[in-house]
Order: sequence, then C-alpha cells, then structure tokens
Amino acid sequence: MSIFEYNGSALVAMVGKNCFAIASDRRLGVQLQTIATDFRRIYKIHDKLYIGLSGLATDAQTLYQRLVFRHKLYQLREERDMKPETFASLVSALLYEKRFGPYFCQPVIAGLGDDNKPFICTMDSIGAKELAKDFVVAGTASESLYGACESMYKPDMEPEELFETISQALLASVDRDCLSGWGGHVLLVTPTEVQEKALKGRMD
Amino acid sequence: MECIFGLVGDGFALIAADSSAVHSILVHKSNEDKVLVLDSHKLLGVSGEAGDRVQFIEYIQKNVHLYQFRNGIPLNTAAAANFTRGELATALRKNPYFVNILLAGYDKGIGPSLYYIDYIATLHKIDKGAFGYGSYFSLAMMDRYFRSGMSLEEAIDLVDKCIMEIRSRLFVAPPNFVIKIVDQNGAREYAWRESISSD
Amino acid sequence: MKLDTSGLETFVPPSRGLNVLPSDFTASPAFDLPGCTDFDGFQKNAVQMVKPAKGTTTLAFIFKEGVIVAADSRASMGGYISSQTVKKIIEINPYMIGTMAGGAADCQFWHRNLGIKCRLHELANKRRISVTGASKLLANILYSYRGMGLSVGTMIAGWDETGPGLYYVDSEGGRLKGKRFSVGSGSPYAYAVLDSGYRFDLSIEEAAELARRAIYHATFRDGASGGVASVYYVGPDGWKKLSGDDVGELHYKYYPVVTSSVEQEMAEAPVA
Repeated sequence: MSIFEYNGSALVAMVGKNCFAIASDRRLGVQLQTIATDFRRIYKIHDKLYIGLSGLATDAQTLYQRLVFRHKLYQLREERDMKPETFASLVSALLYEKRFGPYFCQPVIAGLGDDNKPFICTMDSIGAKELAKDFVVAGTASESLYGACESMYKPDMEPEELFETISQALLASVDRDCLSGWGGHVLLVTPTEVQEKALKGRMD
Repeated sequence: MECIFGLVGDGFALIAADSSAVHSILVHKSNEDKVLVLDSHKLLGVSGEAGDRVQFIEYIQKNVHLYQFRNGIPLNTAAAANFTRGELATALRKNPYFVNILLAGYDKGIGPSLYYIDYIATLHKIDKGAFGYGSYFSLAMMDRYFRSGMSLEEAIDLVDKCIMEIRSRLFVAPPNFVIKIVDQNGAREYAWRESISSD
Repeated sequence: MKLDTSGLETFVPPSRGLNVLPSDFTASPAFDLPGCTDFDGFQKNAVQMVKPAKGTTTLAFIFKEGVIVAADSRASMGGYISSQTVKKIIEINPYMIGTMAGGAADCQFWHRNLGIKCRLHELANKRRISVTGASKLLANILYSYRGMGLSVGTMIAGWDETGPGLYYVDSEGGRLKGKRFSVGSGSPYAYAVLDSGYRFDLSIEEAAELARRAIYHATFRDGASGGVASVYYVGPDGWKKLSGDDVGELHYKYYPVVTSSVEQEMAEAPVA
C-alpha cells in the first residue's frame, strides 16, 4: 500500500460565482483501521485562504505548521495577507525543498484573490502546480471525486448550489472508498462570509 | 504483543498498558512499567522498540521538566503533546524512534485530555484510543461501552473488559497490565492486573 | 492425496454397458496450464486477480434457540469499494447456510458444490446430511486443493437431527467445531462485542441484536467492512433472514446526532 494511502483522505475544492468551496472527509485511519472520525485536513491560512492537505497525516501537520510560520513572517514583514497565487508558490517551494525526501502530501489550495476572484489549485508532493478553473481533487478517493465532480459541476454556481454540489460530490465519492469518509467538512467562502459545515455521512 | 489503550472519563483520563518486555520468543520481564508519570499531571503511555522507548521518554520527560524549571510554570497537556510530536517528527526523517504514544493529562480550567501520537508523529486529540494488536479488541470494546463522562468505576470496569478480551482472544496476549490515572489530584498508578507472578 | 475434481465436472458419463469410448474420455478432467514460462509467477498473479472479496466481517454463534449468522456486504479491491451489496451469507439448503470470507468466487463455487453434494446425500440416504458431515465434505475438498491458492474462510451453520450445528472451515484445511466464530478482517472488532454480550440463554431478538451490533462496530473500525448488516437465524424449521440493515443508517440509530457537537480541539492554556 502506498504511503499516500496510509491514513486515507478525500479532498475537493470547487469554484462558484465569486466564491469557492473546499471540502474534506473526517477520517484518520492507519491503513484499514479507523482511529478517529473528527480529523481535519483543511487549514485556515487567513480569512480568504485555505489549504487542504491530503496524504500522510503527519506530513500534513508538519507542512501546515511550517506554512503558518512562513505566512506569519510574511504578514509581519509586509503587513498584509498573502495572495492565493503567492501562497501557492510558497507551498510549491517548500515542497520542492524536499525533492529527494518529499512530504507525502498532495495539497489543495483555495482562496479569494484581490478582487475576490476565486483561485483554486493543487500540486503533487514535490510542488508541481496545477491550476484549474472549475474544481480540483486529491486523496485516496480522488478517482471517484473526478467522476463525481465531472458530472455534477456547473460553472458560476451561487454559494447555496455550490455547497450542495460539493457536498454531494464528496459524499458520493467517499462511499466508494474504504479509506476515507466517516463524515465530511465543507467550507464555503464568499467575499463577505465564511460558512463551515460538518456533513453527516456513512460511518463504514 | 504490545497492547496499550486509554480513555477520558468524567474529570480524569486513564492509560492501561501491558507490562511485558519481549525479545523474539523470550519474555525477559513481565512487570515492565510502560506508563511514565511525565510530571505531576501527565501520563505518557509508550509502546514500541525497547531501546527507543526508554531513550525517547526520558528525553521528553527531562525537557518537559527543564521547561518547568526555566519558566516556573509547567507545560499544559496540549503543549506537551505538540512538543512530543515535534521531536518525533524531526527525528522521523533522520533516525526515527519507533514509539507509539498515548499522552493523558489534566489541566486546570481545561480538564482531562488524551492525545494520540503514533511513531510517524501523527497527533490527534481523542477520547479513546489504542495501539498494538490489542487495539483491535480494545477499540471495539470501547466503541461499544464508552460514553463521554464515565465515572472512574465504570471506566475501570471497561478497562477490565478490554483486558479480559485481549487475554482470551489475542494469541500473543501479554499476561500483566498496569493501569494509571490522572485527575485533578495528579497522575498516579491505579492498579495492576496480573495473571502471572512478576517477581 | 488425490485431487477431488468432481466439482469441476459438468457431466458424469453413465458407465453402464460396454465402454467403447477412448480411455482418456473418462479420465478425471485436468486444469489447462497457462502458456507461459514463469508458471509460479503466473499463478501468484492469477491468485491475486481472483480475490476481490478481501476484507469482510462475518460471524455466527449458537445459542438456546438455534444459530445466528450475520455478515456485512462490502467487496473491496485495494482501497476501492467494488460493491456494497454482496451476498456473503450463502444458502446451501433450507436447513444450512454458509458464510463467505476470502475469495468470492471460491466461496460461491464451493458452497454451491456443497449444496449439490448435500442434496445427493439426501437422495441416497433419505435423510438430510448433518452439519458435521456437510462441513467435513467441504473441508475435505478444500484440503485436497491446499497450497493451490484457494482462499476460503467460511462458517457452516445449520440445524440437523442433533440440533444446531456450527463449524468453521478454511482453505488451509482447518475445520473447527464451536459455539462462536467470526471470520474476516473485521473479526477482531466483532469478537470484542460478541464475547462481551454473549450468553447461551439469549432470546432470538437479543441474539439478532447482538450480531447486528457486532457487525456494526466492525464496519465502523474496519475500512474493508461495510454496507448492510444481514442477520440470519437457523432454527428447527430451517433458516430465516431476520434483518438487513444499512449500517449507514444503523450508526445514527445507535448514536443519534446531538446538535451541539463540540469538536475535539486542542485547548489553549488559560490566561494565568
């Protein structure tokens, strides 16, 4: 079994009209054994920027701590928050730094830019960026997520519809994956507010 | 084989661990205490390779004490858990320690807490958890009978259920267990559950 | 040890009268060999390919009223869930059922084959085969294929002239008589719940609920188990399916969501 599949994860981010949503499952497992069902993989960088880290949980935690550290230094020096594009470059740089002993994580970055333009992107474990206009997925349920998102996604959705779509896509996908699921987290970010919701899901 | 599990009750947290020191087929010792009293209100239950276990927990304990001497206040449980994880994570890509840890503590104003830290430094706050082969039995047993806010008697009853199940279903079951608890009065040994003499 | 290939025959020629057929016609059928040089490697890979139903929780136990048999319904290939509606409890005849863990095809095929053998026994002897006898038939067949890659972990449960019967049979050649078994990757979890709640004098309802609960807890912790928790009961009048509950719903029945769910958080130190 791949080290990326050791803990199990499902991550997805979607763009709507002047908004975005990012969602993850809630399982922390060790191979097939479920350890906890209240685990978080989506971290807040600032009010309009979030990062989801799929893959090995320990590296996700380490990486998150380093990213927060670097972002705080940036805030002190620049007296402003990072733009999503800049942050993506930072993540990419931190990942490539460990080119020959990588963090076993595939990040998903989602944020609102200067003029509240949604930005989403993902990258591989050594920092190759992959930008998208519609949706990005990662984790052990990524194959199922591609299918679900491909068929359910519509451009320019309003926040309510976007929430419904991303939730349905996530729940449908993790039901075909042994290693992720056990509920979900959804963050819906609009220029004015951030809504966080916990999803009920199958617990098997 | 190694079995360690813990849970959070009403105003206390507890850790139970087997007490066998084993090398291949040989049992060297059956009263090896694997639950360290880290400081006045913290317990560190550790399973893993014998050498790593002793080296690592002593390092953690000494550094937690050093912090207390330097700053005059002890680390709270969450801080100790994050410190432990940090050390484990740094070591992970150099020369890793093969240790799985349950950290139980009691903090004023916060109450009891239990942290899961595995050998690759995954940290998570839990209310019940287990490591080792015994985890298959103890986790299901705790899932079935655990509720939040159990009294000490109920919790000990559950621990005994887990130990009984491990002893009867696990082929390589260890004979003896130690149970330690931590509450507002501090961390202390609660009881031993011995099926063979450990002298 | 002679290999029992009778299960693979589609037709047994009647051997009465003069045998004018070529001698190799009645020889026991042989397996075709794969056309490759690395036979061991081929066999290893082939064995992996026909093992989709890895990861299962099944259980069965004898109590006052008869036997309870229960199972989940998930089939997985690696991390992918290939089905949530697998029938892991196989009906051999109206008085006997078997459970499925390991290779799906192996279990299905040999249980069907066992069903045929049991019916033939019934016709020849004018009485139903005992559970002991049936499980022995299966164990003997599996033993004759030992080391050839069959993957079967099954429990044969039924009611015969001696009352309730329960045997565990596996493809390593093992056959155990017992009161309580669980098989599959989720079995340790199921055992914990089963052992702690088991009494011989359970009522049928209590026994069914214990089995259901054991399967549910196994599906919760074991990633490879899930779907539907089916519960069967075998009594003096044969087997009956008691329930089939989606564990996705069962979880919220056992643990209703409390609205003010406080997330587990690492608390900050209070200001001194």
